[in-house]
Amino acid sequence: MLNSVIAGLTSGGVYALLGLCVVLTYRLVAVVNFAMAAVGSMGAFVMVSLTDTGLNAWLALLVGAVAGAALAALLGAVLVRWFGEHDERTKAAVTVGVYVALMAIGLRLFGNTTSGARRFPAPFDAPAFTVGSVVVPQSVLVSLAFAVLITVGVGLLLGRTRVGLRLQALSERPSTAQVVGIPAPRLAVAVWAAIGAISTLVIVLVAPRLGGDFSTLGKLINTALAVAMLGAFRSLPLTLAGGVILGLLEGLSASLEAIQQYRGIVPFLVILVLLWWRSRGEVWDTAHSR
Amino acid sequence: MPGEILRLSDVSISRGEVPIVHDVSLDVVPGAVTLILGANGAGKTTLMDGIAGLVRNTSGTIHLDGVAIDKFPTYRRAQAGLGYVEQSRTAFRTLTVEQNLLVSQAGDGDLDMVYGLFPELEKRRHLQAGHLSGGEQQMVVLGRALISDPKVVLIDEMSLGLAPVIVSRLMKAVTDLVGLGIAVLLIEQFAHLALEVGTNVYVLRKGRVVFSGPCEELRGADQRLHELYFGAAPTAAPTTAPVAASTAATPAASAAAPAAAPTVAPAAGTTPAAPTGGPEPEGETR
Ligand SMILES: Nc1ncnc2c1ncn2[C@@H]1O[C@H](COP(=O)(O)OP(=O)(O)OP(=O)(O)O)[C@@H](O)[C@H]1O
Ligand SMILES: [Mg+2]
Repeated sequence: MLNSVIAGLTSGGVYALLGLCVVLTYRLVAVVNFAMAAVGSMGAFVMVSLTDTGLNAWLALLVGAVAGAALAALLGAVLVRWFGEHDERTKAAVTVGVYVALMAIGLRLFGNTTSGARRFPAPFDAPAFTVGSVVVPQSVLVSLAFAVLITVGVGLLLGRTRVGLRLQALSERPSTAQVVGIPAPRLAVAVWAAIGAISTLVIVLVAPRLGGDFSTLGKLINTALAVAMLGAFRSLPLTLAGGVILGLLEGLSASLEAIQQYRGIVPFLVILVLLWWRSRGEVWDTAHSR
Repeated sequence: MPGEILRLSDVSISRGEVPIVHDVSLDVVPGAVTLILGANGAGKTTLMDGIAGLVRNTSGTIHLDGVAIDKFPTYRRAQAGLGYVEQSRTAFRTLTVEQNLLVSQAGDGDLDMVYGLFPELEKRRHLQAGHLSGGEQQMVVLGRALISDPKVVLIDEMSLGLAPVIVSRLMKAVTDLVGLGIAVLLIEQFAHLALEVGTNVYVLRKGRVVFSGPCEELRGADQRLHELYFGAAPTAAPTTAPVAASTAATPAASAAAPAAAPTVAPAAGTTPAAPTGGPEPEGETR
């Protein structure tokens, strides 16, 4: 039982991180980014390719994060430059296209599920402490702490700093933001780059547990979108909580003999119930949310 | 005209593929209000969007303080000294009053100057702008333009849907801006009110300047204004276009402005968000 809670927390932290990346992109640049995990995976595979050649892991991580940032910035620049006037659906469709392309390129470069599994360095596998007989690995704490850091950090950034205010202004009224002198295109590309780097770190963090092949990691976007939905693509704390709860439920259902084989659909059921529950408030909410 | 700070020369602007503004030349001088008048759909907002860079001009040039700005993106025009109070109330609703101001602060602009002009904003500085009344939101938008230390401020129908008391309050603020040496280009539906504060006026019809000159010439000249808005003899209207007939009925309300305004606008105090600016005949172009 305790074992499965720990396992659930590990996935939960990661789910939360994935969801946070999606929600951040949506809130700050108003794009549902289907390519998020694939971009992060590209960065992660740049890193692992470098460590395979014997480069220092931290240095490789830095290069990988920069690569992820650059790729995301490129995608962001394309969206800003050529799709700035288009609606959210069109932009989302562009990211779907990019996702498909990146998956194809990734498979080509890095191999498929069976041939392409890489050994990602797992520096946080060491036990952090033990509860009773259960060993809690550091990775649980790291992913949870990272998720909390992003939630709190972004909250402070948005509310307390000038660049944060500008980001909020930009996300509320993109054209008026420009009218008051905010360099919208540049700021948007910077946001894309930051999210690309964070996505890379998140993928690197989960890779050791998930086998480390490109297609599994790129497809994490499914989970990420589901978690983002729990936060209504808006609230960072709700996304954080949603990710953790999802992970816990998955862990618990794995430990219960009777429902073990159905645990894959647990997230789906949770989302369904939550959406239904939220939709009751919709009549009042839709007026305020986009 | 000597000393102009903003100069448009033969500017044409399209929305999508549709040409809306044709060969407009105008000058805006510091320390004065320059007016743009015209019927609904004449292209006034499009012209301002063009100056601000929200749409690109297809030909002509725009100079701000001697610098050609028509190739600049919107934010660089703002940084070059162009403030813009857009047509719909565009305060950042999720930000507080003070955050709205801080977001656009630049140059010599400071909070005290804005709060001096609008003491009611200082009292509400930590309130979200979305919770303010329409008039207060418009003050936020004006203040936001002022705090960016602009050379020119474009103002598009800031009185839309506001009570007359509030409108005169805002007009007073506009003349204060002018007192600071800022040039103001103003679009206003209440022509009489605007002609009181303006120095020079341009009248647009179907995207072309059909009149330019000192405001005195049009003050009290309702018939003249009506003709400028909607074209010469009313008898010609039915033959030129069927739409024009219905359009021709509205100017009466618009041009008869201050007399009609108090009755049209809601009672002072509360200010509903819904624009009550009268009927909006469209389809001059299409
Ligand atoms: N995005 C667009 N695409 C095509 N035509 C447009 C677009 N936006 C506005 N128009 C048309 O351009 C013309 C001028 O519109 P504009 O908003 O500039 O007029 P206006 O003088 O500001 O009118 P109002 O007094 O009602 O604000 C109108 O006929 C309008 O239908
Ligand atoms: Mg207009």
